[in-house]
Amino acid sequence: MDQTLVAALARAAGLEKALADHPEDVAAAAAQAQLQAGTIAFPTDPAAEPWPPMQAGDRL
Amino acid sequence: MTELHWLSAGEAARAIAERRLSPVELMQSLLERIGRIDPRINAFIRLDADAALAAARAAEAEIAAGRIRGPLHGVPVGIKDIIDVAGLPTTCHSKILVDNVAGTDAEVVSRLRGAGAIVLGKLSTHEFAIGGPSFDLPFPPARNPWNRDHHPGGSSSGSGAGVAAGLFPIALGTDTGGSVRNPASACGIVGLKPTYGLVSRRGVFPLSYTLDHVGPMTRTVADNALLLNVIAGHDAADPASAPGPAGPFDHLLDRGIGDLRIGFVQHFHQTDLVSDAEVTAALDQVALALREQGARVRPVALPSLTEFAAVNRIILTSEAWSIHAPWLRSRPGDYGQLSRRRLMAGAFVSAGDYVGAQRRRKEMIAAVQDTFRDVDILLCASSMEPASAIENAEATARTYPRQARTPFNVTGHPALAMMSGLSRNGLPLSVQFVGRYFEDSTVLRAAAAWERASGGPKHPPIE
Repeated sequence: MDQTLVAALARAAGLEKALADHPEDVAAAAAQAQLQAGTIAFPTDPAAEPWPPMQAGDRL
Repeated sequence: MTELHWLSAGEAARAIAERRLSPVELMQSLLERIGRIDPRINAFIRLDADAALAAARAAEAEIAAGRIRGPLHGVPVGIKDIIDVAGLPTTCHSKILVDNVAGTDAEVVSRLRGAGAIVLGKLSTHEFAIGGPSFDLPFPPARNPWNRDHHPGGSSSGSGAGVAAGLFPIALGTDTGGSVRNPASACGIVGLKPTYGLVSRRGVFPLSYTLDHVGPMTRTVADNALLLNVIAGHDAADPASAPGPAGPFDHLLDRGIGDLRIGFVQHFHQTDLVSDAEVTAALDQVALALREQGARVRPVALPSLTEFAAVNRIILTSEAWSIHAPWLRSRPGDYGQLSRRRLMAGAFVSAGDYVGAQRRRKEMIAAVQDTFRDVDILLCASSMEPASAIENAEATARTYPRQARTPFNVTGHPALAMMSGLSRNGLPLSVQFVGRYFEDSTVLRAAAAWERASGGPKHPPIE
């Protein structure tokens, strides 16, 4: 991931302090998230629902 | 008589109830052993010796008066330090919570006390059950009693190391991506991640709401079932708790497995993540032994380990970020580096990817459920190699993800890891048994069959 984008996303997430003190950890975290998301075959069928189910059940 | 520190919980409880063994004598024996061995393996963050001894004396008096509280009366238990014990700090092995004293017991601790168990203290973990093994935390990491130079697995590392070393017969761990089964695998004990919703998580510091489980860690399968009998059951205060009665879980252990159909998930260790040759040979030996006991074993296929792991991590880091964001923003330097990196990943996962992972999760659940139409139990690898050297950070980072445990956090099926053999260099190898939802007793039954075939629990050479 582009490091300028990583820094912008980190600031948007409120991680200014981590970005200043631990920039290599912020970069590693971003790379990890990107790698994992890129590995998943996300469902393409709009009817594919998540688990846990988005239903009320018998109590809230 | 078996040395006191190698008594199973069931054996100890029976001997105590029949007044053949004093709970005070047992406690003193274990405290002496802890004092001698724990400085070498760091299983404890906090040993509550005085309170444990006082509880043992109270148990002795109650039993002498004919009052047996329950099936664990007088039996010592260790508690992973992300689980609340009233009056003791729940530090999560972290500087962030080093002074966080619990006001009340977690539900599982309350159930243990109700059964008469005695809490010995709080046990080492990876920081917040995710960052470890690490040397930049306020407490040292636990070490493997089979070889102190190697890690004991994690994140329930003190639970695994302490049970294996004979410091206590039973312990509680938690499992979000394999954290009961990893130390069970590395330390050669029995660790069960029960069906999601079977055991209450109330009073357990959360890592990931939809992946977290509490599970029993023991030296024998029978003790695992006994401990599950005590801790399982509905808790209206845990939103994930399953309604209805739970257990018993120990009634099928001696039944044999001649009627079981077992699906061997070979692609996990043959192609997805190629296992060490000794692990492969031990898994084949387990399959052979189960066949010899009458089970029908055949290969089955599930989605790839790589994708299971990615779904687990996207969900875990997203949910963990929602918990840790305030501290990661204000106190990032108070985390160890491994936790900081792993937890901050959640800041870079989009909402769409999180929900997408939960949608893919449903498809993966359906794939496993389909497989359980044709088999009763899944047999598969747990760790792809024995534990690496604890101070070799590169080896640990490379080998920790090489495992087949995360699929069953994603799906919620009950999964148990235990020893499959020993490596040439004397470290435990492991196998995993997985069952249908709420058929934890069948998982324990298959594990008991392998335990019998393998000659029973093995103990590490530590004295």
